[in-house]
Amino acid sequence: MKNREIPKGLRDLLPEEVAVQRSMEQKAAHLFTSYGYREVVTPTCEFLDVVEAGTGGDIRKELFMFMDRDGGILCLRPEMTVSIARLAATHMQDEGFPQRLYYMCNVFRHVQPQRAQYREFWQLGIELLGASGVWADAEVITIAAKTMRAMGLDDFKISLNQIAIFNSLLNDSGLGESDQNQIRHLVERKDLVELARVLEGLDIKDAIKESIALMPVLHGGLEVLNRLPFAEHNRQAAEAVGELERIYQALQACGVIEHIVLDLGVLRGLDYYTGVVFEGYSPDLGYGLLGGGRYDNLMGHFGFDRPATGFALGLDRLALVLDQPKELPRRFLVGGADFATVVAEADRLREQGCMVEMDVEGCSKEQLQAKLHGRNDYHLIYLGEDQEVN
Amino acid sequence: MAGETLTIALSKGNLLKPTTQMFSTVGLPVEGVDEDSRNMVFSFAEPAVKYIMCRPTDVPTYVEQGAADLGIVGKDVIEEQSRDVFELVDLGYGYCRFVVAGPQRMQGIPIKQLNYKRAATKFPIVAERFFRSQGLQVEIIKLHGNIELAPIMGLADIIVDIVSTGRTLRENDLVELVNIMESTTRLICNRVSYRTKHDQIQPLVELMQNTVKRG
Repeated sequence: MKNREIPKGLRDLLPEEVAVQRSMEQKAAHLFTSYGYREVVTPTCEFLDVVEAGTGGDIRKELFMFMDRDGGILCLRPEMTVSIARLAATHMQDEGFPQRLYYMCNVFRHVQPQRAQYREFWQLGIELLGASGVWADAEVITIAAKTMRAMGLDDFKISLNQIAIFNSLLNDSGLGESDQNQIRHLVERKDLVELARVLEGLDIKDAIKESIALMPVLHGGLEVLNRLPFAEHNRQAAEAVGELERIYQALQACGVIEHIVLDLGVLRGLDYYTGVVFEGYSPDLGYGLLGGGRYDNLMGHFGFDRPATGFALGLDRLALVLDQPKELPRRFLVGGADFATVVAEADRLREQGCMVEMDVEGCSKEQLQAKLHGRNDYHLIYLGEDQEVN
Repeated sequence: MAGETLTIALSKGNLLKPTTQMFSTVGLPVEGVDEDSRNMVFSFAEPAVKYIMCRPTDVPTYVEQGAADLGIVGKDVIEEQSRDVFELVDLGYGYCRFVVAGPQRMQGIPIKQLNYKRAATKFPIVAERFFRSQGLQVEIIKLHGNIELAPIMGLADIIVDIVSTGRTLRENDLVELVNIMESTTRLICNRVSYRTKHDQIQPLVELMQNTVKRG
């Protein structure tokens, strides 16, 4: 018995699965290109320093790490945004901005494998580099929504937040860093029970407590922004609320507003987000499908300070909720007694754009008919000595 | 997306009765919901809800994977399963505690003397996390039941277990050494359902919170 084991959490993709994935990639590429985005590819591994400069240290427990021969620590890329920021800071300093880039790559995380969560998975996404302002965010969110639609998904929601609302509230509270981190973590995980308990034990203003307790459950249209009384007393929070309103209005003009929900509990896990953040969901899958947001400080870590915004979509997860293609493409199987005749006929059909297989085993017509028994996606052509075509 | 059926995973066993009582208080249908019934799924049309009867340890899995939108389960199970779910309401009932317990002679020893001991437990994750947070190296021995037997038979020095009244400990000449954490029943929610079925879930959350507050 030969060893057939593969490392945990990794997968073979079989022809049907690859067909679904390539079809998603083509649709996305077409859409991204129509918005002026250009594809880039980065190395599969990066230096640990580079990844952590972008994502913060929390991600280390999910990294596949190894050493190079000079003692440098490498890791398989856990996501693409940091790599693209590094790429742009290295190669694009002299080009005009904004720059619009897209990618379709495999990324790696050492997580517990389960349905919709693998250790190697495929992401596609865009980064809009060098543009601040709500129109840039609206463009990225619109493309995120249109990507889902292009792939045939109509029933989905994108939850939108501006994390500066929550962060400025925490800063106003006068709490120390570890308390702030704990609260952020509890809001992110929607652990309302523990959050209530922690807040009860803290010596901060009741108004701030109430607002913190309210944030994870505020969810809906523009009206939820009226339920944030503290924002009037905090300039940064007020600005962030105003920005969220303007993005919401911009998205109305973009034709995707039916998918947009404001959700002040969406914080996103990665450290690099600075402003608007969003996540996309389908009711048919218990896991998020896409995520993104504004990360104005990330490129500065690579010595090229530019605002930026983008999103990434998980192809493996999306494939789970898409309807499988109903009709297989029609194929031809060409066989016959004379090889040259078979080749000529097969080539003639291929030039017309058909998918054509040749019988390479020298089968008789009856043998070929037996092989195709029950396969009505095949059309058999057998070229006999009298050139008879069926 | 409003008006879709809300699926709730219920814990079989002693949480079921207080859960159905609480459900009827907040206006959810409970007619015929009984674990002695042969049914594992109970569907109602108005309001559109579906209950699934689960082993308590399976409830977080059903909810994390989206097979159920909501779940009713003890905090003890949530901790041990460490699933990625939202925890929305402390329902108050089903009180119990995680404790470290040992033979009578260990009563009152300082916690640092638990270092390098062997602990038998049904809850290796909770036990491991607790000892590690205390900077202690304790060998965890996973058992599936009758944990109290382990110190008696010399399989382990101490145990980590759930107690509610403490009677089982006393009957086996064990004493509580450390209270690790307290547990009550929680309403948990799938990450995506919370967003896609928010209009159905949020009112329910508020009703349950109010019920708990009134006691």
